[in-house]
Amino acid sequence: MTVAPQSPEASGPPPPPVSAPAALSAKEIRRYTFKVGLARSEGGIGELISEIYTYVFGAVVLVVMSGAIIVGLRHSLGLGSEPVWTASALAPGFASLEPLQASATLMLTLAAALLSVQMNIGPIAMTVPQTFWWLGLPVRRRGFIEPGFFRSMIWPVAGSVAVVVPLSLGIGADNAPGPVALATLCGAALALLLYGIAGWVQITGGERWLRPLASAVTVVAPLSLVATALFNNAENTRVNMSWLQYLPTSWPLLVAAGQLWPLLVTGLALVVLAVVYANLERLSSASLKSSAVASAYVAGSVLSMDASELSRSLSNGARSGHSWIRLPLVFHQGSLTRRSVLTMLSAHLTMQLRQPSTLVRVAVLAAIPASLASVQFLGNATLIAVVLYFCAHFAVTGLGSVARFAAGNPSVDALMPLPAKTIRRVHFVLPAAGMTVWAILCFVLLFVLGVGSWPLIILAVLAGPGLGGATLRAAFRPTPDWNMPAVATAMGPVPTGAIRSFLIGPDLTLITLLPVLICLISGGVPPLAFPIQLALTLIAYAWGTRVRKPKKKGDGGIFGMPAVPAAR
Amino acid sequence: MLGLWPLQGHRGRPTGPLVRLAYTFNDMSKPHKPAKVPAAGSPTPPRPELVRAERLRVGYGTKPVCGEIAFTLREAEAIALVGPNGAGKSTVLKTVVGQLGAISGKTHIRGQEADDRRLDFRREVAMVFDDDAFFPALTVEEHLAIVAAGHGSTAVEALIDAELDFFGLSEERAALPHNLSSGQRRRMLLAAAFVRPRSLLVLDEPEQRLDTGMRARLAARLRDQVDGGLGLLLVTHDPAFLSAVATRAIFVDDEVKKMTPAQAALAISSENPHAH
Repeated sequence: MTVAPQSPEASGPPPPPVSAPAALSAKEIRRYTFKVGLARSEGGIGELISEIYTYVFGAVVLVVMSGAIIVGLRHSLGLGSEPVWTASALAPGFASLEPLQASATLMLTLAAALLSVQMNIGPIAMTVPQTFWWLGLPVRRRGFIEPGFFRSMIWPVAGSVAVVVPLSLGIGADNAPGPVALATLCGAALALLLYGIAGWVQITGGERWLRPLASAVTVVAPLSLVATALFNNAENTRVNMSWLQYLPTSWPLLVAAGQLWPLLVTGLALVVLAVVYANLERLSSASLKSSAVASAYVAGSVLSMDASELSRSLSNGARSGHSWIRLPLVFHQGSLTRRSVLTMLSAHLTMQLRQPSTLVRVAVLAAIPASLASVQFLGNATLIAVVLYFCAHFAVTGLGSVARFAAGNPSVDALMPLPAKTIRRVHFVLPAAGMTVWAILCFVLLFVLGVGSWPLIILAVLAGPGLGGATLRAAFRPTPDWNMPAVATAMGPVPTGAIRSFLIGPDLTLITLLPVLICLISGGVPPLAFPIQLALTLIAYAWGTRVRKPKKKGDGGIFGMPAVPAAR
Repeated sequence: MLGLWPLQGHRGRPTGPLVRLAYTFNDMSKPHKPAKVPAAGSPTPPRPELVRAERLRVGYGTKPVCGEIAFTLREAEAIALVGPNGAGKSTVLKTVVGQLGAISGKTHIRGQEADDRRLDFRREVAMVFDDDAFFPALTVEEHLAIVAAGHGSTAVEALIDAELDFFGLSEERAALPHNLSSGQRRRMLLAAAFVRPRSLLVLDEPEQRLDTGMRARLAARLRDQVDGGLGLLLVTHDPAFLSAVATRAIFVDDEVKKMTPAQAALAISSENPHAH
């Protein structure tokens, strides 16, 4: 043991002796930390509601107006009186895939995604400050780790219930509560088994092959639906995919169909969870810290509704640090402005091409509405439109990574001898081109599957550049004000300023896509839709490329009027 | 010190586990036990070994970031790792204390493999790296209280008072982390390493973000504690800090060299660190 003496010129207090016993348990330290944190929360739940009120109200108004337009259009186009939410968008005679195949594929995809995500974020996670201040204490760590272990189980179980219940209701013959409950139990057990496997990988640090396999299945499985549907219709045949239902990921569906043997997975899940629980203290600090950082990254991405960042945060992110992609960055022809613009464009393209996984994800997003359309009973125009909107928004954020980098590192753009407005317009070029290609891919795939028409594809092409504007709006949105009052929640204080950030971004995607979505649901494209779409695209361009001016002292007047002087 | 304990009990007396601990240990009457000094003329026994790094290759994946390194750190010794940016000094530091896996070789602390899952490891080894994270709703002194009380330190409040005073944070004791400057947050992290017991202190560029006066006082204090038996392993780019604190130095680069502190100070002062 080492104890330092206090020398005459000692410049600080002596160190405490090493052999002092730890007096507090992990549980006591944990409770203390939480109680103090919650005691300091300042805001109220009302502030959270007032934050989102404007946006929710605006969205409701937009949906109601769109619904009225759709109904009016369907009447004027003579498409019958069938409600839009049940009308099929598919061409007559199209051979859809059976729901069982779609369900099994969906289960496989979600299971692979769950495993991949769980392995990347831990799954047993603490927060970054907790790992920083708690893990160095000489107390049994179980008290720190256990809550995260149990709390992290909620998400896979909740996700499995949300997926298995509707699928069981669709698959089951009589929708009796018994089989549905058993299928839900089987689904929850399956999710917990995957959670346990990921936990064991976290403890042992092994099974590195499992992660890329799970990621690959997540990408390939949804595409298989479109490919099978296209093949079936092209060859006028029906590929037998019934083997899919015997994959372990499909066992909840078998339970819903009346079989009981798949419930064995419940016992297996309990055994695996018990083994992981018994070994919780084998988790290393490095593993807990990296999972804490990964979880914080995921939480930030979810909060910003940024699909690209979310995908990156949920993927393993392992990079070699080298890329074979080399594009010219120095140009010698033309004016200074031209050369600078070319340099910027080339740099943006290089950055984008060096993220091939992002491009693959964007391409897969274009195929998801089509995969929905390929399944029997799901080829509903309203459902496809809703899914298409979300896919478009995630693709928008996926192609916004370069702009987001520029927003986070403004000094890079400031190095260019170009006005801020020009720089912002240069940022617009690649996302606009990318989203136009995305729109073509998405709507042509839908068209091949019998949804939509050539005019709808042209309308989507007109919307593409507007989506580029949405990319910039999402990327350059103002950062949340973390100094706004925090609201006490069960998860700790949440700053209300973050909610605003969560809600900015999807708005311009919706506004730009509105004519396309309305026409998709209505089933026809009136001539008036084209000028409206063009106008909205121009508005999106202007909105997206607008450069915010920093507020000056004395600003504050409304409608251009000078600010009211302060009262004496 | 009531501000330290936000959960007030009857008659304003603070309550809660940390408070009980503080009152239990708030006994300053115990004299500080100085290190035993061998009598003059008697042969000096070898000081106990704290860290032994054997043929250590560090890096990420299978790619080493610097040459093979080997050293032994005993009590009352301070080894400074020096070298250019990106040479792998921090990686060596993290590997030595088991935060990173070694590509090859071993590190032992007190004769046992470095593993912070062991209670005695956490009791003995205090570390301050260049990263930081804070509970946003906890004040400076509450952060320190967690560390001090969690380590079972005696006289928690007095310890915190003394460290806040030493690190110039007394006026910020009730401040939340986001209200602190970068340098103040750094001081808080360093204070956290001093409110707890330790035999081995591992510091990654402790001079970072500190003003000149604070650097000098910290160096003097570290030197005092090393003289008193503390083992210190640090990374530094500051020649003055190095000269004031280190008893030995290791130059980390593609080739690892052992140096005297004076040589190392000269090396990191020089424009060409490879000259020595």
